[in-house]
Amino acid sequence: MNFTDQASSSTNGLPPRRVPLFSPGRVATIASGTVTQLVRMKTFYFLLAFAVVVVAVGDLNLPATPAQELSTIKKVSFGTMDLFAWLFAIVATALLIPRDQEDRTLYTILSKPVRRIEYLLGKLVGVLVVVAVSLVTMYLICALMLGARERLFVEAEREAMSADTRFSPDEIEAQLDLIRVQGLRPELGIAVLASFLKAAVVAVVTIFLSTFASSSLFSIIISILVFLVGHFHAMASSFWLHQSDNSMLVQMLVKVVKILIPDYSLFSFSEGIVLGEPVIYALVWQMALLTLAYLVVFLLLSLLVFVDKEF
Amino acid sequence: MKAFFQRIPRTVLVIALLAVFGLVRGPVEDGLRERLVGANLLFPPPASGALEQMRQSALMGTLGGLRTLVASYFTLVTFEYFSTKSWDDLRGGYEIITALEPRDETHWVSVVWHLGINATANMEVDERLPAFERDRRFKEYAFEAIAFAERGIEQLPESAAIRVQLAEVYREKLKDDCAVSRVYGDIIGLPGAPAYARRFHGYFMARCPGKEKEAYAYLMALYREGEKQHLPTLIKEIKNLEEKLGIPGPQRIPDADPDRPRKTPKRPPNLLPGEILIPFNQRELQLLRR
Repeated sequence: MNFTDQASSSTNGLPPRRVPLFSPGRVATIASGTVTQLVRMKTFYFLLAFAVVVVAVGDLNLPATPAQELSTIKKVSFGTMDLFAWLFAIVATALLIPRDQEDRTLYTILSKPVRRIEYLLGKLVGVLVVVAVSLVTMYLICALMLGARERLFVEAEREAMSADTRFSPDEIEAQLDLIRVQGLRPELGIAVLASFLKAAVVAVVTIFLSTFASSSLFSIIISILVFLVGHFHAMASSFWLHQSDNSMLVQMLVKVVKILIPDYSLFSFSEGIVLGEPVIYALVWQMALLTLAYLVVFLLLSLLVFVDKEF
Repeated sequence: MKAFFQRIPRTVLVIALLAVFGLVRGPVEDGLRERLVGANLLFPPPASGALEQMRQSALMGTLGGLRTLVASYFTLVTFEYFSTKSWDDLRGGYEIITALEPRDETHWVSVVWHLGINATANMEVDERLPAFERDRRFKEYAFEAIAFAERGIEQLPESAAIRVQLAEVYREKLKDDCAVSRVYGDIIGLPGAPAYARRFHGYFMARCPGKEKEAYAYLMALYREGEKQHLPTLIKEIKNLEEKLGIPGPQRIPDADPDRPRKTPKRPPNLLPGEILIPFNQRELQLLRR
């Protein structure tokens, strides 16, 4: 199926209307269609599962200090958020193109003056919108639980320490700060952004894989494998090299894997933020730029495969 | 040019572009990783030793980017080991947890507390084991707690909380006053150090054989800081050292020994506890009748 820069001549004798090379409007239309498609698949139901996880962890009543309990709630919530985000990005993206093919929607779309890059970009934006909405909702659920528990712990600790005359107001505040640092802080929003950046890279890589995949199942399995290897290679390379006494063959293999597979472990920087480490915004910007580079390059790669594909 | 590109098979073009992007992003990502690890936002990969120790589930979780989730799962599992007093399993669990999240101070504090305080306390009372075995395991758990604390301090050199827990093991379980003093000395000046660390450093130094003179000078310096430092334990320790070192009377501190029994007003022999008066004479009888 080939497209020219002009729409097919109209039948009423009017000169053919020029089709712009790229139209954000068309991308937005495909994106909104993708969002609707994903919402109809009842994808938001997993938010219910997330809420159950958060409430269960918040209700565990571990024999731990308030700060430790808040830290556990935070780690489990953000870990689950991260897991849902990348898993959703893989499954949703892998389902979209093959499903459009099965439903024949793809033919209808591509028979219109829609460029293939617009189609791919629209699909990606749609998935990213759903991932972003899900992440924000999950964050709000987590923030609600975390904020409520933090308030409860701070009040209880203040009451207990104020009743004891041994503690000065400064000591009480220092103790309360230990709890607050593990509680709800604005920096946690950056941890959500980190999960989003990871999900965005996962989604664009899955789009690339699904352009030459024969089925959704294949795309999902390969994407999950690529994700695991992408997390694994940075860690495993030093281990392999150590085990094999820096053998030439292993070194080459590690280099090839590093070049071809994205390094997903780099996008796990939400772990430090969740633990209470201060955020360095310059690094967050650099990670956002790296994500953008991944999006551009992998969309281009997807286009290279998709542009000549005959349906 | 266009014709040239059209003649190249797409697969070759895709692989070439992928390789070029991989070569360009490699150094950028290496630099970013270094800075993220330096800023403690990203955990460094577990050491090869830790990878060998990990069970399959932990290893898979780590590889799949689920480090925090796997660590949280193992934290819950270790609470179970704590409640069933399975100390060896608990130690194994914390080996994995600390390998997964070496920058989380609470894991190090917890493992030192579990092994150094709880496991040793259990060995003091566990009647199912012969006395010799209990004593052997008591020492084993205490020294393992110390080893964990040292590893934690290596990872988090600024941590006061790990050192406080370590000092507790030396104080409560090993009764090593010199070591307690040394650890509290290390805590002074660290961020989040408790206010009592300076005093405790001196108190335990005073009980450390051979350190009496140094301890006396240190505690006197604290005493001279003012009224707010004149706490009963400080005064008691200075008084003990004055006796031990034979400090001449005029140089001794004027405060009364806080442990010396205070004079209580003499109670009349006919006044029973509960303020019940047994009249001994006519006047007391009249008072009672009134």
